[in-house]
Amino acid sequence: MRLPERQLAVLEAASATDERTVAEIAAETDLKPETVAGAAFDLADEGLVEVGSATDETLELTDEGRTYVEAGLPETRLYRAGLDAGADAEPVSMGAVIGEAGLDGPEVDIALANFARKGFGSVDGGELSVDPDADPDTDPEATALAALADAGGAGLDADALDVDEAVIDQLDSRGLVAVGESVTRTVRLTDDGVDALMTGVEATETVGALTPELLASGEWRDAEFAEYNVEADAETARGGRKHVLRRTADRVKDVLVGMGFQEMEGPHADADFWINDCLFMPQDHPARTHWDRFALDVDPMEGIPDELMARVEAAHRDGWGVDGDGYHSPWSADFAREVALRGHTTSLSMRYLSGIAGAELGPPQRYFSVEKVYRNDTLDPTHLLEFFQIEGWVMAEDLSVRDLMGTFEEFYRQFGITDIRFKPHYNPYTEPSFELFGEHPETGEEIEIGNSGVFREEVTGPLGVDCDVMAWGLALERLAMLTTGAEDIRDLHGTLADIDFLRNAEVSY
Amino acid sequence: MPVVDIDPDELRELTGHEEKDDEELKDDLFGLGLEFEGETDDGMFQFEFAPDRLDRLSVEGVARSLRYHYGDARGVYVPNTNDPEWTIEVDESVPDERPFVTGAVVRGVDLDEAALESLIQLQEKLHATMGRGRAKGAIGIHDLAMVKGAPLQEGAEPSITYRGVNPDGDTFVPLDANDELTPNEVLDEHDTGTTYADLVEGLDRYPAIYDELGLFSFPPVINGKRTEVTTGSRELLVELTGTDQWTIDRMCNIICYALSARGATIEAVEVNYADGATHPGEYGAELVRPNLDVDEKSVSHDRIETLLGVDFEPEEVVDCFERAGLDASYTLDEDVTYEVSIPPYRVDVLHPLDLVDDVGRAYGFDNLEPRYPDVGTVGGRHERSRLEDAVRTSLVGLGFEDLLNFHMTSGTENYDRMNVEPGTGGAAIADGETANASAGVFGGGDPVEITEPYSEEYTQLRTWALPSLVMLLERNTHNAYPQDVAEVGFVAERDDAEEANVAESRRVAGAVARRDASYEAAKGRLQALCDDFGAELATPRTEHPSFIEGRAADVEIDGERVGVIGELHPAVLVEHDLEVPVAAFEFELDALR
Repeated sequence: MRLPERQLAVLEAASATDERTVAEIAAETDLKPETVAGAAFDLADEGLVEVGSATDETLELTDEGRTYVEAGLPETRLYRAGLDAGADAEPVSMGAVIGEAGLDGPEVDIALANFARKGFGSVDGGELSVDPDADPDTDPEATALAALADAGGAGLDADALDVDEAVIDQLDSRGLVAVGESVTRTVRLTDDGVDALMTGVEATETVGALTPELLASGEWRDAEFAEYNVEADAETARGGRKHVLRRTADRVKDVLVGMGFQEMEGPHADADFWINDCLFMPQDHPARTHWDRFALDVDPMEGIPDELMARVEAAHRDGWGVDGDGYHSPWSADFAREVALRGHTTSLSMRYLSGIAGAELGPPQRYFSVEKVYRNDTLDPTHLLEFFQIEGWVMAEDLSVRDLMGTFEEFYRQFGITDIRFKPHYNPYTEPSFELFGEHPETGEEIEIGNSGVFREEVTGPLGVDCDVMAWGLALERLAMLTTGAEDIRDLHGTLADIDFLRNAEVSY
Repeated sequence: MPVVDIDPDELRELTGHEEKDDEELKDDLFGLGLEFEGETDDGMFQFEFAPDRLDRLSVEGVARSLRYHYGDARGVYVPNTNDPEWTIEVDESVPDERPFVTGAVVRGVDLDEAALESLIQLQEKLHATMGRGRAKGAIGIHDLAMVKGAPLQEGAEPSITYRGVNPDGDTFVPLDANDELTPNEVLDEHDTGTTYADLVEGLDRYPAIYDELGLFSFPPVINGKRTEVTTGSRELLVELTGTDQWTIDRMCNIICYALSARGATIEAVEVNYADGATHPGEYGAELVRPNLDVDEKSVSHDRIETLLGVDFEPEEVVDCFERAGLDASYTLDEDVTYEVSIPPYRVDVLHPLDLVDDVGRAYGFDNLEPRYPDVGTVGGRHERSRLEDAVRTSLVGLGFEDLLNFHMTSGTENYDRMNVEPGTGGAAIADGETANASAGVFGGGDPVEITEPYSEEYTQLRTWALPSLVMLLERNTHNAYPQDVAEVGFVAERDDAEEANVAESRRVAGAVARRDASYEAAKGRLQALCDDFGAELATPRTEHPSFIEGRAADVEIDGERVGVIGELHPAVLVEHDLEVPVAAFEFELDALR
């Protein structure tokens, strides 16, 4: 009879008279316990051994249990403090004794409940009496805890410890001890196994790994390959992956490039002029106060073209065009030159529209960016201080609101979001303006998916643009949360990210 | 966004539509852009809306808008104003920081609890919005019966005076108090005083309003108790002070419209700016207020049609204007142009385009059919975006998990915990001849700091990316190793040679964290990355405080020093609770161009 080497080793180590444990055989044969178990089951299939199993109760001290080993059970501490306070002679006020016993929070209730149960004394009307005859030193629960701790505190065999089962049950119900199970497998030779050994068993000459030598020599022709358990789990191979938010950004970029949009780039730290003033945001607008922006402690930006600055100032002060009115708000060039982190990437749109980012642009044009913006918000599951904004605009002669609606319907359709609703809205920089609402592709819930509009003439005029420009913006994270099912944005983005979440996030495409 | 609290029963009464149930009202208001947010404990409906139509900050204004919406009202409405009896004299002692005043007298008011509450709400909401927290405009409403006008001369009209007061001078009893207090005592001791103290603190003289009996109002902080408005008040004096005449005039108009909607009569007041007082130049020194003149703007038929993408008959456009509470007239020439009248409670019409929006809303944007614009353009990514992407693809192929970290960090994380000193590298010590990254300790540039940060964790932009990677490893010690992580990301440092005085750049950073991580593991990967981009890599020995001495090197690409590579110093690892070695590199993305 021929058997694979490891099965033979197990067969030879097994005994017909004694049940031997897998661990014993593993030690003797120098094989891993799981290899021994696997071989034993294979031998059992052949009828050469019997595999038995025994389940043992195991005990482990919980964290709370360990605490009491050190500090003493709460009821014992209460008893001792009571004794010190003279509560064996006459009742004393409970409050003082509890403080003296060092009991706090839930420990107080635990102490009182068990104090009475164990007959350490009684509590009546807020006063505590202790029974002088009680003896916490012989309290079986305390003794058992100490015994468990002495034995190491974890993975203990219940039978091996001299502890009353009722006491263990009590400790279990108090949550001081966790009761678990361990399975011990044993192996015993069957009669067939004994016969086989008597007749003689040889190791099969199997090939473990296919080697270059085997291939070169041609010996592979005569070799028998060891069988694998092909159903067994393998350790998951980990390659790197592109960040899930980057993948969403890539998808957005693909869609926009496909729709004829060119990508913009530009500074994160920029003058308020580009971030807000060009957008016709009055300087006393609440969003421009200290609380909403991240001002940077650097010198103001000097390089803004004077003429452009003058035109923007004029729009703010006096309005744009014959019938235009300005804001009745203060305006200062010093504030416009202050440098801050951009609160939206519309600052890039302003730079491109003004021609300062490159060539002067004439209609038609389409531009976009998917870049980071900074808002002073409270960090929570749906808000970050830094997030990505999708920004896009279309420049053409005579654009209408219908063109805006058609463009955005097409964009969102690419992400499975249809039936967009356009809710009339107000932005200082666009008119008309619309908030975009769409149906969540899975939950069917109506959610806000963007803000859009046609840039006001007070925005385009000073920049030297004399045709229509429509624009929209949207947080990339909002799209990503829809596509990945992430519930806490902080799992995705930033140094708090969980690497396992990133590794396991389903690939979207 | 502003929120207005509305009693639905009052709204039904003021619109004259008792038959509308709550749900219908909510739907109709949603159509106007007021979104139902919830209900207060005492049954008021709360609606949120965009901050353009500030005339809707009270139930009266919302009811007016609804009546237009229902077609019960059309065109511009302006309440009658009676001739002035009262005068507000503006003394030259008024502080320059708050020079302007306006007001109105309102007679025949019948304030029940609800109406009084609505008036107070409107006042507070106007303070919060147009009034910019009372700094730009503050409203005081007084019981006129309790004001004793001082005629300047025998037989003249009664007047009150807006003037400056010594902060420790005259006293009065403010609302919610029982004692005579000086203005400074109000700021110190009174709850409302402490809230608004910063609006006047530092002024030599505080704004104050006097009648013949003396000081009775301390704008923008608090009114006096003597003239407190109650449900018994029948005649009101409204005064507003502020930093801009137009703004306080409009706030005044919105108040007058609201009171008029409840049946009160508006009576003008004269405002006389004294010689030597700052006065609103464009309007002159002698004003009659409230100014309920309508504004006029013109807009062409063609602009309306192109912007909305709809063909209209002129009569349809006029109909839309009237349903928006505007009036419009036109002459039938080749180019039709509308002369549009805008009521004095509107604060949002700055340009003819705003009128097109009103036409669109009245017509119903829902009725517009979307169309894809017939405009051909060519799309594409910019070069840096393509490069970043290609580098990420290579890094991922080398087994790195691609990261996306915050750009904002703290000095503790960026420098201290990495054992690096600020100002020891980059532009801070560059001589102008080498690239900044070549100078000194890589990552040791001067920080771009956030002015008055709110959180200790986010006080500056990161000057290098590696600290973010190490923080992420610190956060993930419970997860399985190896943890090979990389980022292509933004960093910034202070650099006065740049436009915004900030040097922004992109870095490629990678870290190999595992039991057997070594310099070789990091360099092998860096070498592969450089090969991908045909870049020549050299790693001459260097010293860097974040790395083990003798196991750190400069990253030189195509002969230029652009980064650093090495095994992180055990002190840095222990600082981040890391129990495995980490080998890492970081260099300028541009080096791979």
